[in-house]
Amino acid sequence: MTKIAKLEKNLEEQIAQYDANMLFQQSEYDADEAEQGGYSNYSYWRSTWRSFTKNRTAIFFMCVLGVLLLFTLVQPLLPDQKDPTLIFWVDSMPDMNHRPDAQFWFGTNSTGQDLWARIWSGTRTSLAIGIIVGLFDALLGIIIGAIWGYVRKLDRLMTEIYNVIHNIPHSIILILVSYMVKPSVATMIFAMCVTGWLPMSRFVRNQIVIIRDQEYNLASRCLGTPTFRMIMKNLLPYLISVIMLRIALAIPAAIGNEVFLTYIGLGLPVTIPSLGNLINEGRIVMMSASSRYQIVLPSIVLSVITIAFYVIGNAFSDAADPKNHV
Amino acid sequence: MENDNILSVKNLEVKFNLRGQVLTAIRGISLDLYKGESLAIVGESGSGKSVFTKTFMGMLDQNGSVTAGEILYKGMDLAKFKSEKEWLRIRGKEIAMVFQDPMTSLNPLKPVGKQIQEALEMHQRLKGKAARKRTIEILNDVGIPLPEMRYKQYPHEFSGGMRQRAVIATAIACRPNILICDEPTTALDVTIQAQIIELLRGLQKKYDLTIVYITHDLGVVAKVAERIAVMYAGDIIEIGTCNEIFYHAQHPYTWALLSSLPQLGVKGELLYSIKGTPPNLFKEIKGDAFAPRNPKALNIDFLIRPPYFQVSPTHFAKTWLLDPRAPRIDPPGTIKRLQDKWKEIKPNA
Amino acid sequence: MLKYILKRLLQSVFTLIIIATAVFLLMRLMPESGYFGDEYDKMDAEQIEASLAAMGLRDPIPKQLFNFYKSILSGDLGKSIVFRPKVEIAKIIKQKIPYSIPFGLASIGISLVLGVSIGVIMARFKHKLPDKLGNAYVVVINAVPAAVYYLFIQLYISDILHLPILFDAEKPLSWILPACSMSLSGIAYYAMWIRRYMLDQMTKDYIGFARAKGLSNKKLMYRHVIRNAFVPIAQYLPANMLFTISGSIYVESLFSIPGMGGLLIAAIQRQDNPLVQALVLIYSSIGILGLLLGDLLMALCDPRIKLASKGGSR
Repeated sequence: MTKIAKLEKNLEEQIAQYDANMLFQQSEYDADEAEQGGYSNYSYWRSTWRSFTKNRTAIFFMCVLGVLLLFTLVQPLLPDQKDPTLIFWVDSMPDMNHRPDAQFWFGTNSTGQDLWARIWSGTRTSLAIGIIVGLFDALLGIIIGAIWGYVRKLDRLMTEIYNVIHNIPHSIILILVSYMVKPSVATMIFAMCVTGWLPMSRFVRNQIVIIRDQEYNLASRCLGTPTFRMIMKNLLPYLISVIMLRIALAIPAAIGNEVFLTYIGLGLPVTIPSLGNLINEGRIVMMSASSRYQIVLPSIVLSVITIAFYVIGNAFSDAADPKNHV
Repeated sequence: MENDNILSVKNLEVKFNLRGQVLTAIRGISLDLYKGESLAIVGESGSGKSVFTKTFMGMLDQNGSVTAGEILYKGMDLAKFKSEKEWLRIRGKEIAMVFQDPMTSLNPLKPVGKQIQEALEMHQRLKGKAARKRTIEILNDVGIPLPEMRYKQYPHEFSGGMRQRAVIATAIACRPNILICDEPTTALDVTIQAQIIELLRGLQKKYDLTIVYITHDLGVVAKVAERIAVMYAGDIIEIGTCNEIFYHAQHPYTWALLSSLPQLGVKGELLYSIKGTPPNLFKEIKGDAFAPRNPKALNIDFLIRPPYFQVSPTHFAKTWLLDPRAPRIDPPGTIKRLQDKWKEIKPNA
Repeated sequence: MLKYILKRLLQSVFTLIIIATAVFLLMRLMPESGYFGDEYDKMDAEQIEASLAAMGLRDPIPKQLFNFYKSILSGDLGKSIVFRPKVEIAKIIKQKIPYSIPFGLASIGISLVLGVSIGVIMARFKHKLPDKLGNAYVVVINAVPAAVYYLFIQLYISDILHLPILFDAEKPLSWILPACSMSLSGIAYYAMWIRRYMLDQMTKDYIGFARAKGLSNKKLMYRHVIRNAFVPIAQYLPANMLFTISGSIYVESLFSIPGMGGLLIAAIQRQDNPLVQALVLIYSSIGILGLLLGDLLMALCDPRIKLASKGGSR
């Protein structure tokens, strides 16, 4: 250790800059200066946004998705668009399996319908199903979860119900419900909602229990914080990000479920174009190389949509996790 | 005290990258560690005690780095180490560390004996039965009864004090030269604290260890330390022998620290607490870091950073009050009492 | 420990009873035509009633329920109506199982080995190329519906690798494509979870202490992190296993494998009520059994659970 007997020259020079008398006089004590601790301007949403925007893949997919969604909505309004269920005729025969060209941009399917129109119409249907299922699951999940968490007496009963439903594989319940009701958009949504609310409700219930029992909330309550404010500040921000995540993931899940059900034969009737139907129709003719486009094109659209939602949903969930807010 | 330097830190600077901003956690510390001594590093939370010792082992978080200075050990400059391979020469073998919470320091899914044996096998070249035998000996050394049975048990089957003993056993098994104990007793009951301290003292003698205690508890310090270094805002502002620091403190922060200890038997006095908060380490600090909280600060404290002033060959403090040009300031009541007490103990000092 | 096993067993049995009852009640809501097959249209109202009564479907519900439990416990799952008329369902299922099981086991084996390896690599090289590639794979497998990528595999991969598209018990090569396809989602699952759990463990204190002991990153990972990260995975291992064994519905129908998965599709398409009922019951039981085994496996792997029920020692 450097033992300093005399001050270094450097310091002496610094001291010389000032009036020596002033230097060694006692200073005034300023209480405000004493409280100079680090100030944290941490804002949850701002940090979430910053984390999210740093993820270039997510931003890329958001743009892609944005364009795609916009297009799906706008497509029917564009000029020269054909009706998705209309059968086109050529020489008194349906114009079946017409390969993509200037007349039919995506070609026609084995019934003679325009694939381009069908794909976009199907996308609209599937997206609608996905969004509605997601929203509904979220809503139902929150309500049930809130009741489950709040009313202590119901906890045991609800936990048992949860366990029972949780133990039965999703696909089975899905199949069962679809088997029993007539296939249509409404019933499909219903079938998917039957179990979709489960994870959400469990999550909400856990959060409520945390709000009740965690020490930082006990401390809050001791200080007189009203429950409402605690819910708003502690539960809600986290809840909103989870809801958004679930809706984002619900869409690929719904599309997947729809494809699954159609495959089994419990899907939507052929009159309502949906991505599931299209995949199925394409599958039937897939073996002949010339009509492969009927499976490839819908698959590409479907894949882009599902991947985009999945990536965005996960990226958002990572960004919203406070542990990642360095 | 042997003047045998085992570790020498010169002007160490450590910075962290946080949310795009730079935080200077260690602002130029110089310190010599002597072979076989017990040094205590005291300071409040956030003063940089843990960060400082972590640099000796390369255990800084990902976003932290040594930006200046040297850490000289056995002819190597640890501050320049970059690769894991270099650090593996140091960790455990030369310098070992004991953490604060013994419960989380041990792998909950592995028997305790195996975890200690792991250290043995790595550093002592013992394998199999020989390693197991030695592990049980070490368990005995640290005062764990029925070591054969305990060898097979899992961490959650140990009580808090025993867990800390097991953790210490693991560190000792490496046969390090320097043992760093980061708040080893903070998570334990007061009665157990005394036992652990005794244990560490015994082990120090037996294995000829150099121990660095990090703590904010001055009571613990009084029992174990030969030398005390007081840290504030990433700098060691005063260092000296135990007696010197307690009875002859010179830096206003040390005064404040000692004053805030509740004193048994002094009725009617209000409990003292240091006003204000530690400074923001994101900003550059001008002058003495403690100045804004010091009611007796001089103007120069706000402008120029004080160097070490020597009070005795072993006692140094970074305060302008020791400059011959500074006015005589009376230390607060508690400090005066301590100084008087010293005169009683050593009337010729 | 014993107490824990008993408790879990009872829970499972209880859940099974509830599920059986639920299946039973749901089945009563099924379209009646499902009990008759092709003859339904030819029968008049009286005959329908008479047949239903003969099948016991017009008895009061509690009586039906009781008979239902009785028959299940004695192994009688009823007779198929449409699929294989008058054949015992239990026999039908027994025929199919030998095809589903090898595929299930193979795919679990592949998923575990590849999935865990990939996941470990991803965790070791976090944020670098291997991690990003693995991530991309997981994303595609999870987002895109299985039907879609199975179709693509059938379409393109089979040509590229010259592997047969349809399953044939005689040709060993034809086993490869279906088994690999089935393991794709399993690989993604294990890779993702192992990676997540490993990264979780790496921030824990005991890893820091082990590092301070002088363990290299590599040793840390293999001796501590992986082993600890595997424990939560073990919990769902049996359930996954049983599921894959019971036959992946897609893969079996796509590759024409005469296994149990295809059975369900056929039952639904033909509207064979008893068969659907039996299959739903079986699948649910498999699910419950899997979860039960998983919990027990957890209790074995994690010493804290075992001893918590003993009361621990202090």
